[in-house]
Amino acid sequence: MTRRIVLVFAVAVLVVGGVAAEKEAAPAAFSYHNPSQVASALKEMAGRYPLLAEVVPLGKSASKSDLALIRIAAPGKDKTKIDFRPAVLVTANLEGLHLIGTEAALALAEKLLSSYGTDKSVTALLETRTVYIAPLLNPDAALAYFSPVRQERSLNGRPVDDDADGAFDEDGFDDLNGDGLITRMRVKDPEGKWIVDPQEPRLMREADPLKGEKGLYAVYTEGIDNDGDGQYNEDPPGGIEPNRNFPHDFEYNTKPAGLWPVSEDESRSLARFLYDHPAIGLVLNFSTENTLLNMQQTGQAKAGSDKVKVPKMYAGFMGLDPDQEYTLKEIVDVLKSLGVGGGVDFTEDLVAQFLGLGPAVAIDRQDQPLFDAVQKDYKDALKAAKLEYPEKRAKGVGRGSLTAFIYFQYGVPVFSTDVWAVPEPKKEAPQDVLTSDKLKAMSPDEFIGLGEEKIDAFLKEAGAPPNFKAAMVINMVKSGQVTPAKMAEMMDKMPKKPGADGEANPEDYLIKYADGVPGGKAFVPWAPVKHPTLAGTEVGGFAPYFRVNPPPAEAKAWVEAHIDFYIKLMAKMPELKVGETKVKAIGSGLYEVSLFLTNTGWFPTSTAQGRRSRQAWPIRVALNLGERQTLVTGRRVETLPVINGSGEVKKLTWTVRGPNGSRLGFTCSSPRLGSLDASATLN
Amino acid sequence: MKTQRIGAASAAILALTVLAFAPALRGAEVTLSFDHFYDHAELTRSLQALQKAYPQFMSVSSIGKSVQGRDIWAVTLNNPKTGPAERKPGYYIDGNIHGNEIQGTEVALYAVTYLLKNYGHTEFATRLLDERAFYVIPTMNPDSRDFFINRATDSNSPRSGLRPMDEDRDGLLDEDDADDLDGDGSITFMRRKDPNGPMKASPSDPRLMVPVKPGEKGEYTLLGQEGIDNDGDGLINEDGLGGYDMNRNFGWNWQPDYVQRGSGEFPFCFNETKAVADFILSRPNIAGVQSFHNFGGMILRGPGAKNLGEYNPLDRQVYDFIAKKGERILPGYRYVTVYKDMYTVYGGTIDFTYQALGIFTFSNELDMNPAAADPLDKKKQGGGEEEDENVMSRVFGGEQSLEYYDLVLMGAEYTDWKPYKHPLYGDIEIGGIKKFGARVPPLFRLAETCHRNAAFCLYHADQLPRLSISEAKVSALGDDLFQVDVTVANSRVTPSMSAQAAQKKLYRADRLTVQGGDLLVAGTITDKFQTPVQKIETHGKDFVPVDNGVSGFGRVELRLLVKAKADKLTLVFDSVKGGVCSKVLDLKK
Repeated sequence: MTRRIVLVFAVAVLVVGGVAAEKEAAPAAFSYHNPSQVASALKEMAGRYPLLAEVVPLGKSASKSDLALIRIAAPGKDKTKIDFRPAVLVTANLEGLHLIGTEAALALAEKLLSSYGTDKSVTALLETRTVYIAPLLNPDAALAYFSPVRQERSLNGRPVDDDADGAFDEDGFDDLNGDGLITRMRVKDPEGKWIVDPQEPRLMREADPLKGEKGLYAVYTEGIDNDGDGQYNEDPPGGIEPNRNFPHDFEYNTKPAGLWPVSEDESRSLARFLYDHPAIGLVLNFSTENTLLNMQQTGQAKAGSDKVKVPKMYAGFMGLDPDQEYTLKEIVDVLKSLGVGGGVDFTEDLVAQFLGLGPAVAIDRQDQPLFDAVQKDYKDALKAAKLEYPEKRAKGVGRGSLTAFIYFQYGVPVFSTDVWAVPEPKKEAPQDVLTSDKLKAMSPDEFIGLGEEKIDAFLKEAGAPPNFKAAMVINMVKSGQVTPAKMAEMMDKMPKKPGADGEANPEDYLIKYADGVPGGKAFVPWAPVKHPTLAGTEVGGFAPYFRVNPPPAEAKAWVEAHIDFYIKLMAKMPELKVGETKVKAIGSGLYEVSLFLTNTGWFPTSTAQGRRSRQAWPIRVALNLGERQTLVTGRRVETLPVINGSGEVKKLTWTVRGPNGSRLGFTCSSPRLGSLDASATLN
Repeated sequence: MKTQRIGAASAAILALTVLAFAPALRGAEVTLSFDHFYDHAELTRSLQALQKAYPQFMSVSSIGKSVQGRDIWAVTLNNPKTGPAERKPGYYIDGNIHGNEIQGTEVALYAVTYLLKNYGHTEFATRLLDERAFYVIPTMNPDSRDFFINRATDSNSPRSGLRPMDEDRDGLLDEDDADDLDGDGSITFMRRKDPNGPMKASPSDPRLMVPVKPGEKGEYTLLGQEGIDNDGDGLINEDGLGGYDMNRNFGWNWQPDYVQRGSGEFPFCFNETKAVADFILSRPNIAGVQSFHNFGGMILRGPGAKNLGEYNPLDRQVYDFIAKKGERILPGYRYVTVYKDMYTVYGGTIDFTYQALGIFTFSNELDMNPAAADPLDKKKQGGGEEEDENVMSRVFGGEQSLEYYDLVLMGAEYTDWKPYKHPLYGDIEIGGIKKFGARVPPLFRLAETCHRNAAFCLYHADQLPRLSISEAKVSALGDDLFQVDVTVANSRVTPSMSAQAAQKKLYRADRLTVQGGDLLVAGTITDKFQTPVQKIETHGKDFVPVDNGVSGFGRVELRLLVKAKADKLTLVFDSVKGGVCSKVLDLKK
C-alpha cells in the first residue's frame, strides 16, 4: 500500500508526450519525486530554460541509476567559460531517505531559473557565478520510499554480505501485516531486554534492572528469518550508506560505512566532480544534518598538537630529549640547523605529518566566526518566516559524512540543513512554574525570593547536573557571580537529555507529534500477526520516513525559507577586485609600483582549514613587465593566501626600473575566483 | 624547458649484460639474468617468454594501464592438475609501487622464475606450486620505473606515479622539474662558492660537503638539486614529476594530503592503485602478501600509524614467527613495526591488506646503503648483529665516505664537481652520487638480493595454512544415526583465518560441510575426557560454521551427529583462505 504524500507547493510540471512547455509553469499538485521523476524534472527545466540550464552527468549509483545534476548559469558579460566561473554546489539527499531535501533542491533550481531577469540579485548571481544542483545523490535508497513495501533505507545498491555468511542480501525485511510499511515486531521472550513503557503503552523501552525492571520482550524490525540462520533481517538488500563513506573520521571495519572511504560510486562521483571543478568555492547541502544549528564535529583529538614529544629514534640524532615536549616550530628550527634532508623544505606541517599528529577535529578558530555569523542569520531567517525549529534536536555531522569532507578536506565553507524536524510538543507552562523566559526578566532579589523548592524544580527540568542545587545557585546570585538572566542563558545551552530522569521515553515527543499528523498514519498500532518462527508476534511502531520528511501541508513554508536563505548565502561568495594601482617615482628610472586587491564578497577568499588542507588556492599575482622594464625588488609571481571579506584590502609592492610612460600589467587569478587583469603606467 | 636526456650509454651497457651472462637458474627455454634492471619493455618480453615456456603453470594478464598507458602485468602461477587457483591458499607479491624503488621487480621476477624452473626438481618448489596459487605484480608503477631506468633522475625519484599534479598550486602541472644540466644521466647537486656559505669541504674528503662549525669560515652554499627555474616564477624545481605517493593511497587509515602528504584525493584514485586493489579484492584466497620497497634492510609489518591501535595480539605471534625466520634468511635485515620503529604511514598497502582484508602482510625494505653495507665501511654501519641498532640510521646514514664509490664501483656512480654556468646562480658546480649509486644494490649484488628475498617469500608462502582432515572416527549409534569425530589440522603457522578476519567478520567463516547424510547436531570437542561437546548452531543446514578457523599449528575437533542411509559420508572443510580438503568416510565398516 503506497501512501502518497501530496505536495501542494510543487512548482514544476512533468511534460508528457511532447506538449510544448510554457515558461511560467502553473503550480500543480503531485507526490514526492521518485528517482526517474527527478531526472525528468531536471530535463524538463533545462528544456524550459535552454539558455540558463543544462543537465550534466555526474555519475551512476551502485545500481547504475544516473546521478543527475543541473548546471545553472546565465551568459554574462564576462567571457569566462561557465565551468571556470566561481561556483557553488548544492547537494541533496545523499542519505536516500531525506526526500524533502530533494524537493528543496528542485525548488531551489526552479526558483533560480524563474527569478532570472526579474530578481536583481539572482540575475547578478547567475551572470557571474555557476550553480550546480544535484537533487538526488542516493537514488538506490530513495527508491525504497516508492516501493510497494516502504522501508526507510539509506543503503545504496551495492550487494554486501552484512553477516559474513557467504550470501549477499539474503535476509531483508518483510511486510508481515500487509500495510505496505516496514515497522517493528515485538514478541514476548524470556531473554528479552525490552518492556512496554508504562507511561505510554505504545512505546517500548529497554528495561532498567537498577530500577528492578525485568525485560519481557524482544524487539526486531518487521520480517522473517529468510535464510534460516536464526537471525532476523540481518542482511537486507543493499550495502553502503554513501553519507558515511567519506574520509573524515571514517568508521573502519563497519559494514554500512563501506570497506574504505570513497569506495562507493555515489561518493566517488561527488568527490571526482569536486576535484574536477576547482571553481567550486561553496557547498550547500540538504541532509538530515543541520550544521547551521549544530556545529559539533566528530573525531578524536590527538594529544595537544601544539607541543609534542619527539620519538627516541629521531630525538637521538636531533640532539633532543625524548621525554621533553617541544613546539613544532622548535623542531623545525632544529631540523633546519642540522642541514639534513637533502633539499627538503621542513615545515611545521611536514613535521606534524611525520609525527602522525592526525587530522583536524574542530572548525578552525579563524573560520568559526563565519559559521557563527551564518548561524545567526539563519536563526533570524527562521524567525522572520515564523518557523519554529526544535534547535536542540538539530543533528550535527556524522562520521564519514560529506559535509565533514567538504570542510576538512576539500576546504571550502559548507552548510547543511535538514529543512524540517519533528517539532517539540508545545508545553503549557502552568502559571507558578518557573521558566527560562520568566527567569530572564527577574532581578536577583526576585529570584532569591522564589525559594529553593521552585528553583530546584526548574533546575531539574532544565537538565542541570545533579550537584547543581538551588542553595548553591542562590549563593552565586547573592554574591553577584551570576545574574538570573545569565543563568537562564546558561541553562538554555545545557543539552537536554530526554528521558534522563527516567520518566520520559526518548520517543515520547515523537508519538505526541505522530498523534497530531493528519490521516493518523505516522504510527501503526501494535497488532498480532502470524509469524513463521516467532509465535505471538505483534507488529507496530512508527511509520518509516515520518521523522525526516514533513507532512505536505507544512512543507512549503519550510522549503521556501531554506531556499531563500541558501540563495542569500550564494550572494555572499568572495569576489576579487582590483582596488587601485599606485606608482611612485623614486628617481633614476626607478618606480615603486603598488597594487591594491580587495574582496568585495562576504566570505574570505579561502578558509583557514582550506589553507591547512592545502586545497585552497592562493591568489596568484603575476607581474607582466613591458619592454626595457626590469624588476628590482619583489617576485615576478606573488601569491596571497587570503583576502578576508567585506572589502579587506591587500597591498603588493614591487620596485621596477623602466622608461617613463611605459606600461606594465598584472594578472590576478585563482581557480576559485577567476582571473583579472590590471595595468599601471610608470610616471 | 626541461633538458632531460636519456642515459643512452648506460642503457646500452645494461642491454649487453642481459645477453652476456649465463643463467643462474635451471631450465633451458628462458634465460634471465639477475645482474640487470629490467625496463618495462624488457620485463614484458621476459614475462611473455616465461609464459610461453611454462604455459601449464603460468598466465600473464594486464590488470590495467598506467597513467601513460603501460600495461600493469599480473602473473598467476598455478598447477591446474591439483585444483583451480582460487581454491588454494594464495600468495601475492608486488614490487616497485614507488617508481625509484626498482629492485622489487627483479625480486618478484626471480621468485616467478625460481618456482617455474625448479618445479619437478626440488621437493620444495614442486610442493609449493602444487599446493599454493601465486599472484605476482612485478611492477605497480611501470611509468616511473621506465623513467628511473632510462631518464635522468636521482636515486629518490620519481617515487610518485606520473599523473601530472600542481604541487605549487599555480595552475600549471609538473612545470618545473629538476634538469640534468651537466648531461651525466643523473640529477645530482649544485653548489656555489660562497665565503659566507654555511658549508665547507670535508677535511677527510674535499668532495664531501660538511656544515661549518661556529666561528669557522664557510666555502660553499648548497643550491639543492640540479635544475633551473623552468616556469620563471623565481623558484627552482618546485613542481616536479607527479607529486604523490601511491603507497599512501590505499583504503585503510587513509588520510587526506594535509595529514599524509601524497595520499591523493581519495583512496584508489590512481589507475595503478585501483587496478591492484581490484586484483586483490577479486582473489579472496590470497592469504599472504609481500610488497617490496627499498631500502634499509628491514622486514616491515604494520600498523603504519598508531591512531587505530596495534594489530591483534594473536596475529602478531604469527607475524613474529615468520619474520624472525626472515631475519635468518636475510642477514642484516631487521624485523620492525612501521609506526613504532620507522615513521607514520597512513594509507599504506600493507595495512589495507591486513586490516581490511585480514591477510598476513610483510613489506621488505630491500638492501642497505650500498656504501655502508660494504665490508669496506663495516665499521661505519653501526656495528655487528648483536648491537641494538637504530634502524633509521640505515635510511639516513651517518657520515658518508666516497671510498666505496672510488674503489668498488670504480667511479661509475659518482660525478665529481664540475663548473657550470647557471642562468640564475651564475658560476656554480654540479656533482654528486648518481641515481644507481644509492638505494638500489650494485649489480654484482642484485642476484643475492633477489634470491634471499624470494626465499623469504617462498618461506612465507609455505607457512600459509595447510589443512587436512587428519582424523575422522565414525561410531554407529543405531537407527542410521552416526557419531563422527573429526579433526581438522593445520600444519603451518598461519591460521586459516586471521584473528582480525574472524573478529571483524571480514569474510565468511570456514565451514565443514557434510555430504551424503543429514547433519542433526554439531559441536566442538573441548575436552575428550570430560563433558565433551560445546554445541554449534547449524540451523538445520548441511554445514558446521567454524567461526575462528583453524589456528596456526593447531586443530579443530568437531563431533557431528549425522543421520545417513548411504554407505559413504563425505566431509568437506572449506576455508576461504585455507583452501579445501575433504575425506570420504565408510559408514558400513
